[in-house]
Amino acid sequence: MKKIVSLLLAGTMCFSLATGVFAESAIEAPALDGGGATLTLALRSGTYADVIKKCLPDFEKAYNVKTEVLELAEDDLHSKLALDATNKSGAYDLCMVDGSWMAEFTANGVLANLTELGYELDDDIIPATTDICYYEDNLYLAPYYGNVTVLLYNKELAKAAGYDGSNIESLEDILKICQAAKDAGKNGFIYRGDTENNLVVDAMPILLSYGAWVVDEDNNPTVNTPEFKEAMNFYMELIATGDAEVKDDLIASVDSGAGAMGIGWPGWYVPTEDSAADYCAISGKAAADSEAFNANVYGVWTIGVTANSENKELTAALLEYLMDPEVQKSTVADGGVPCRYSSLQDEEILAQFPQYKVVCEALESGVYRPVIEEWTDFYTILGTELGNIVNGVKTVDEGLDDAQSQLEATLGM
Amino acid sequence: MTTNREKQLKTLGSRKFSTMMMLPTLITMVIMTVYPMISTILYSFTNFRLLKKNTQFVGFQNYANLLSNEYFQSAILVTVKFTVLSVIFEMLLGFLFALYVDSLKSKKVQTVMRIFLLLPYLLPAVTVALSWRMMLSANYGIVNQWLTDLHLPVYNWFSDIHTAFGMLVVIDIWQNSPFVFLLLYASLQSVPKDQYKAAKMDGAGRLSTLWYITIPNLKTSLALCALLRTIDSFRIFDKVNLLTGGGPANSTTTITQYIYNYGIKSLKFGLGSAGALIMTVIVLVLSSLYIKNALKTKGI
Repeated sequence: MKKIVSLLLAGTMCFSLATGVFAESAIEAPALDGGGATLTLALRSGTYADVIKKCLPDFEKAYNVKTEVLELAEDDLHSKLALDATNKSGAYDLCMVDGSWMAEFTANGVLANLTELGYELDDDIIPATTDICYYEDNLYLAPYYGNVTVLLYNKELAKAAGYDGSNIESLEDILKICQAAKDAGKNGFIYRGDTENNLVVDAMPILLSYGAWVVDEDNNPTVNTPEFKEAMNFYMELIATGDAEVKDDLIASVDSGAGAMGIGWPGWYVPTEDSAADYCAISGKAAADSEAFNANVYGVWTIGVTANSENKELTAALLEYLMDPEVQKSTVADGGVPCRYSSLQDEEILAQFPQYKVVCEALESGVYRPVIEEWTDFYTILGTELGNIVNGVKTVDEGLDDAQSQLEATLGM
Repeated sequence: MTTNREKQLKTLGSRKFSTMMMLPTLITMVIMTVYPMISTILYSFTNFRLLKKNTQFVGFQNYANLLSNEYFQSAILVTVKFTVLSVIFEMLLGFLFALYVDSLKSKKVQTVMRIFLLLPYLLPAVTVALSWRMMLSANYGIVNQWLTDLHLPVYNWFSDIHTAFGMLVVIDIWQNSPFVFLLLYASLQSVPKDQYKAAKMDGAGRLSTLWYITIPNLKTSLALCALLRTIDSFRIFDKVNLLTGGGPANSTTTITQYIYNYGIKSLKFGLGSAGALIMTVIVLVLSSLYIKNALKTKGI
């Protein structure tokens, strides 16, 4: 009898262990054996790379591969990927790509065609985030990290002005909170004035709320339109309540209450019930009775396989693994923001991270930065002129007219 | 007795040996210096853009575009201003440090001072930039905390158009004055002590001794220091890129930062090469003043 009980117990234990392992692992029996090959990942540094690094050991074990991760700042990542693309044999296998580089990279053959590699996106991914991933009906990228602009605000300072995240309904409300903070001897609105790209990105939600945009439907520059100028005049009023700071200082300011608010990204800050700051979606309305525009700008970090990778199939398997719904869900605890309904609408996750409801809504209706090959030139020119305007070197009219003429010349108009 | 033929063979052998010994250095120089330089010159006459295939010869268009661009002109001015200010103050401070440490009687104290004064120079530029960024942070920076405690106005040092450039100069002076100190301190050791004794006997004061003995003896070292610091300051990039990115409103955009923003980041290597060559020419012109002086001194 004892023997039978022991056998039963041992059998049950083995079964539960086996089922437990399979339930936890997203990797089914792999069809490929990496044979100890090394895959090199070029990733954007910060939370974006951290969450991927945590997922790698399981893949390495299952596929018998090693991985090396290169963490780079945004500009560095862009230039390193471009430089490496000119080599016959690439140094990187999997790469992280900002949505705004898509046009340049696909037009110049930097990325491998994922459709040809047998990978397709599933329906669980928020559809709007996938638009940028296709080129001529073929898939080149997978939306990995759901970055979208949000309004990062200090709860106390907002409350002091009579607001919380739920009733900041227009830019007028934002200005009121910032003005109240300034009157209380604090900084109101904080923007990033350190690089051209940051200057442009931080102003974008304001532009969109006024119905202005940097290009028209044909990608011609439209930076000196009346709406654009009106938005910039409001932006000048808004930033007059605060200061220009670098990213880390902006977060510290809002968290410590030295500043009221700023444009942020979900990857920057993990708000909790007790945290001093929180974020909410930008309503897209200039005033309470204005038209509501989509004002959340995408900064989705996508992943792809380099066209000159010598391990395309293995890398595609890695990409598929990283995009797996369960694997993506497991990254949330470490600050991951998957572009997936199964993660962002999961009840357990929302109970712990309620802000993901806001992120999900913002990801469903975000706006992409223009998908043009000359985007780097574009934001450098516009950012330079915005820098001149916000620092009082040029007036709004002068700066925007100069930007328009330079952009037209750059785009060959 | 060796015949002429044997002598010739010996000379030839010795020449071959010399050539063979020089060959690795020559090959390294060709790969590391000559080839990139020729490539840069060639690229500067094209519209070469990485990833693009239709590179065309555009003559002097890149040079014309750059020299007529108001932001590039401003970058040249900023670079010159930065170089002049930082070199003057670094030379002055380095020289004062060298005189002070040399005047210390205790060798032990001299050694300790030397180590402490050299520390900033030993730090990598990135570490220096990040440390200063933390110290000058508008939120948690120690400098602003001190100023607040002293009831003095605080600044957003790197984002304020009135302070950003000045802070870059201060940080560069802080890091590079020790280099000048080191070179001048070493030169001070070689000044003949008899000259000081003779001056003392003649009743020369401290200033006269400095003016008529120390400075003339350090003339070559001072010029060399100034040249090296000028070249180095002219190429400043890391601190600017990390601390201000050229802003606010281009007030800290140096030539290298301009090349990075408009050439490297946009992958426009043709334009970037032209910018780099213009910078090289300016540095060469500045250096030539020293080289001309040095050749004159040696009677060449």
